[in-house]
Amino acid sequence: MSILIKNVSKTFGNFTALDNVSLEVPDGALLALLGPSGSGKTTLLRIIAGLEVAESGTVLHQEKDITHQSARERRVGFVFQHYALFRHMTVFENIAFGLRVRSRQTRPSEGEIRAKVHELLKLIQLENLAQRYPSQLSGGQRQRVALARALAVEPSVLLLDEPFGSLDAKVRQELRRWLRQLHDEIHITSVFVTHDQEEAMEVADRVVVMNEGRIEQLGSPDEVYNHPATPFVYNFLGNVNLFHGRVDDGKAYITEVAGEAVGQSHPSHENTVVYVRPHLLEIDRQANGGGHFRARIKHINSAGPLVKVEATTEWGAPVHIEMSQERFGNLQLMKDEAVFIIPKDVKVFQAHEGPRPK
Amino acid sequence: MNTEAILEKPQAIAGARIRQAQQDPAWVRWGLTLAVLAVVGVLVVIPVVNIFAEALSEGAGVYWKNLFADPDTRQSIILTLTVAPIALAANLLFGLAAAWAIARFDFPGRTLLTALIDLPFSVSPVVAGLMFVLIFGLQGYFGPFLRRDGYSVMPYAISILGTGLFVLLFFLFRPINPQARPGLWNYPWLVGLGGSVAVFGLLFFVQQYFEVWPRNQSLKIIFATPGLILATAFVTFPFVARELIPVMEAVGPDEELAAVSLGANGWQMFWRVTVPNIKWGLVYGIILCNARAMGEFGAVYVVSGHIAGKTDTMPLRIEKLFQEYNLPGSFAVASLLTLLAILTLIAKTKLERKVPSTAKFPEPKTSETRA
Repeated sequence: MSILIKNVSKTFGNFTALDNVSLEVPDGALLALLGPSGSGKTTLLRIIAGLEVAESGTVLHQEKDITHQSARERRVGFVFQHYALFRHMTVFENIAFGLRVRSRQTRPSEGEIRAKVHELLKLIQLENLAQRYPSQLSGGQRQRVALARALAVEPSVLLLDEPFGSLDAKVRQELRRWLRQLHDEIHITSVFVTHDQEEAMEVADRVVVMNEGRIEQLGSPDEVYNHPATPFVYNFLGNVNLFHGRVDDGKAYITEVAGEAVGQSHPSHENTVVYVRPHLLEIDRQANGGGHFRARIKHINSAGPLVKVEATTEWGAPVHIEMSQERFGNLQLMKDEAVFIIPKDVKVFQAHEGPRPK
Repeated sequence: MNTEAILEKPQAIAGARIRQAQQDPAWVRWGLTLAVLAVVGVLVVIPVVNIFAEALSEGAGVYWKNLFADPDTRQSIILTLTVAPIALAANLLFGLAAAWAIARFDFPGRTLLTALIDLPFSVSPVVAGLMFVLIFGLQGYFGPFLRRDGYSVMPYAISILGTGLFVLLFFLFRPINPQARPGLWNYPWLVGLGGSVAVFGLLFFVQQYFEVWPRNQSLKIIFATPGLILATAFVTFPFVARELIPVMEAVGPDEELAAVSLGANGWQMFWRVTVPNIKWGLVYGIILCNARAMGEFGAVYVVSGHIAGKTDTMPLRIEKLFQEYNLPGSFAVASLLTLLAILTLIAKTKLERKVPSTAKFPEPKTSETRA
């Protein structure tokens, strides 16, 4: 186990940033801390790095207690959200910094430093920009220099705070793929913070969903997306439609719909919430058996790979549906048309559970 | 490179358009310019030129004699060149510490400290001088004690200073890597406390044993150089801190944290990251502080006691010569002080021109080309 966090708590004044959080990061993992702002994900990352001190709980690294070690003793690589490159140093000197500040006994020779920096420049594909200053680089280039600088000290753990947060969409896409590739090459245990669920799903091999200072769910991207443990996770990982419902005899019903069950759920409960993702709702002109309800189409947005339809249900609630362009072409839907909506897959949670798991 | 060339043209056109839109009629432009030139000429240029003209009116030989033949004048120049650097050094240390504390930490009384730093600006220099007389003067709180056995505080002061330095250096130089830490580095509390007691005792003992400080003698602060230094330091106290606080706040703590996470110790972080980032603020603060320290009159006037050849700084000497109707002598010293001020201004302008050397390059647009 590379990093082990046990019962860590942290408050800032009245605000609880972390509430008794425990987490394991296996060796060589690429883990994403995912959550909305204020969920405590950055605080957790900074506690692992030693830039913030936990009020209670312990942090272990390779079975060794590092709770009371300072950032400089922990030797983790930290990549800051806004890069924090040394603005008065060239790219070369930025990367060499961690090697140059070592004590005389452990400091590599000038030749070794040179070789190491060039190796890293090659890794981040910026060999020809070694003599530039950070202000002369684009955002994506700066991000990669920050990464190389952190890697230069050969850390056992790499921590990244919103690594792609301040880049534009196109560059972000490229860098994500590049980071994934890099991790496959060097296999360094890495933890990164993000509020972008798509980013977490695409890059990480383990995702930790956080909310209000607690961990909601930990698992592979597939587990987290397809088997959300709590309503919060389901909600956070994509758009959803909410319906009031009940569970009877292992069958879930939407309260306002008199007809058949829309899905399966085990514990019977009077008061439940039924969650359906927009792309799991199907629009049709006939009700072909199974659970369904009526709706009137209010708005159609057909720009993009998916057609997004907004409709109002027969009991007046808004509902969002997504379908493929092909299906939309076949249906020839019109505004204000009355249609049937058939939920294909729903997720049922008990209503009074709130956003917090038991 | 191509994209830049394309980008530059529309900007140039837009710039010209803005200039045209902002263009005022010719008479406004000329009128304003002339008015400003006239005011600057009357208030600044003519008096400054006049100082040099008056000083040199009887020829360079007399000018030289006026400056360096009179032992009292010579002494005043030496005194100013002693007091100003010491006050400057003290304020540099204090300014750095204050700016660091205010820009990097949140502590109770932070706002109060910020306000207190400005206090010397708002208090009249004469009042400042008077405060020191009331504390250290003969009738002041510490006056009788200082007069009886003033030097007895020195061993304590020096020992406390040395102990503080020891603790600071121990934590600054403690190696990062626990494996590379031989023996005593691993016991910060033991070394910190034990070492402090040892250093304090040793320094104290050495000073007492060798009788470094005289016994039962009066330590003069008021009407002596220490008082001049105190008064000057008080008046110039805000310059360095005031320059540094906004710079340090703008730079932010991230680069320093990055340096620490890369294994730098406090010393390395300070010299390799903090100082280069605040360099210009620091230089600017030093220059302003020095200019004011050399020219300070009011506070120094109260604490100096006007002992010719002993406690007269250059500004005090100028006033005294002027009162004695020795106009050429007074103008000669004034011209030297002005010269020092002009040199300071030139240094400042030179440095200001150098500032944007790294920021000169245009920020690349976000359109990124991957190698």
